[in-house]
Amino acid sequence: MIEAILLFRDALYGALVIALVCSALGVYVVLRRIVFVGASLAQMSTLGIAISFWLAGVGVAGVITRKPVILSLLATLLGVVFFATGMRRARIPADARIGVAYVVAGALAILFIAKAAVGEAHDIFLQGNILGITRGDWLVLLAVSVPVLLVHLLFYKEFLFISFDQETARTLGYRVERWTLLLYLTIGLSIAFAMQFAGLMLVFDFLVLPAVTGLLLARGMAGVFASAIGAGLAAAVIGFSLSVPFDLPTGPAIVAVSGALVIVAWLIRRLRER
Amino acid sequence: MSALVMFDHATLGYGRRVVLSDLTFEIPEGDFLGLVGPNGAGKTTILRAILGTLDPSAGTVTRRPELRFGYVPQRDQVDYNFPLRVLDVVLMGRYDRIGIGRRPKRDDRDRALAALDAVGIRELAMEPLTRLSGGQKQRTLIARALVGEPNLLVLDEPTTGMDLVSTTQILGLVRELHERRGLTVLMVSHALNEIANYVTRIALVQEGSFRIGAVDEIVNERTLSEVYGIPVEVDSFAGHRIVLARRGSAVMRPGERR
Repeated sequence: MIEAILLFRDALYGALVIALVCSALGVYVVLRRIVFVGASLAQMSTLGIAISFWLAGVGVAGVITRKPVILSLLATLLGVVFFATGMRRARIPADARIGVAYVVAGALAILFIAKAAVGEAHDIFLQGNILGITRGDWLVLLAVSVPVLLVHLLFYKEFLFISFDQETARTLGYRVERWTLLLYLTIGLSIAFAMQFAGLMLVFDFLVLPAVTGLLLARGMAGVFASAIGAGLAAAVIGFSLSVPFDLPTGPAIVAVSGALVIVAWLIRRLRER
Repeated sequence: MSALVMFDHATLGYGRRVVLSDLTFEIPEGDFLGLVGPNGAGKTTILRAILGTLDPSAGTVTRRPELRFGYVPQRDQVDYNFPLRVLDVVLMGRYDRIGIGRRPKRDDRDRALAALDAVGIRELAMEPLTRLSGGQKQRTLIARALVGEPNLLVLDEPTTGMDLVSTTQILGLVRELHERRGLTVLMVSHALNEIANYVTRIALVQEGSFRIGAVDEIVNERTLSEVYGIPVEVDSFAGHRIVLARRGSAVMRPGERR
């Protein structure tokens, strides 16, 4: 079993990096109630990948088709600007705009994939291809994730303040819109890179379930971050370790373990409250 | 200038929509002002102009250069799902003084504890915010406003959704802070009856009109009947003013005036 896991150790390292960064950022995603912003950004990232595959299918050669992350990133960043700056001024309710972005991006991605000549491209929608992660891939993931996490360490109190009470932050001179944009940019950047390998379901899982586990288990912000990251990493390791020897799809196995951890955390919380 | 904030023929609104026009008044140092009016009358618009988050479309709103606000938002603007301790929340009031990217120091914590002491809940410093009662949450937000050492304490609907005991305690606390510390206070409320007995001046905003003056100048039958467009009685009971709409006036249709 260990030999089989070691055979895919680069994939495991990749999953751990994605789990680390998405679980940490997921705390803001859940606390700010922007879970579906995360889902929509992931969907827009998928659209970017789908366009890249379609372009490759119609014979467009170049860096855009060789590196789907470029269009994925572009689409995600457009989503980031749309969600971070457009929400306040819009007459349409925020959740409706998120819904529009989610469903339109999803449908367009399916249409582009349907016309793409790249085999098995549909997998990116749900499962991704986490076992295909190479050493180069997880090093790129790490190179993106470390600066993102450093930004969050450095500006922890700023992100906390504008998330908790933006009106008061504004009266103390905080440029709330700019901080929100920076927060969303870090989330979007992480999603765009993670989506290349993890797929929609797993990225969404890492953005939501570990944070929920953390909120159930811990009482302070530091504890929530630590528990969320711990739960994300544990789900990645356990799910991965079960999927390889038992020939299960890795992404859903990790999601199933994340779900089990949420249930365990909920039971612990219930026992504590008695 | 002795005024902390000065409105000079200011017109306020959003885009092309004018909410209030030609506002001229000031908030002098040491004032205890109540900004009163029904929901949708323009209180929040005036408040935003005072805080500097809304620029006038005409005229000027001038703030004293060194002016610092201690802002207590409406309770529903704060997200109580965040797993924060009371002390963490109070420390936020010093974040701009601490600086971007820096962490609070021991001195900041000491000041936060002193602010909690001033509002009477120092013993709750390490408690999770979610476990507090409505009144304790409001005290926490007042402590957060105080810890930044403000010149002007601004409270937006501080008693909304509170029971009689908590309302009385919070308004009493604010009056005590004004009297004991000489703190300038602006309290925004839709409940004239509640704050008329605490503040020294009242600004009344109603359907585009704006009046400001000492409590006696505003809270009298003639002025209130004129502003609200219905017959209003002002009575006194045990030293407290009580404002009542005269019987029968409540059956008027929306927009109808007598």
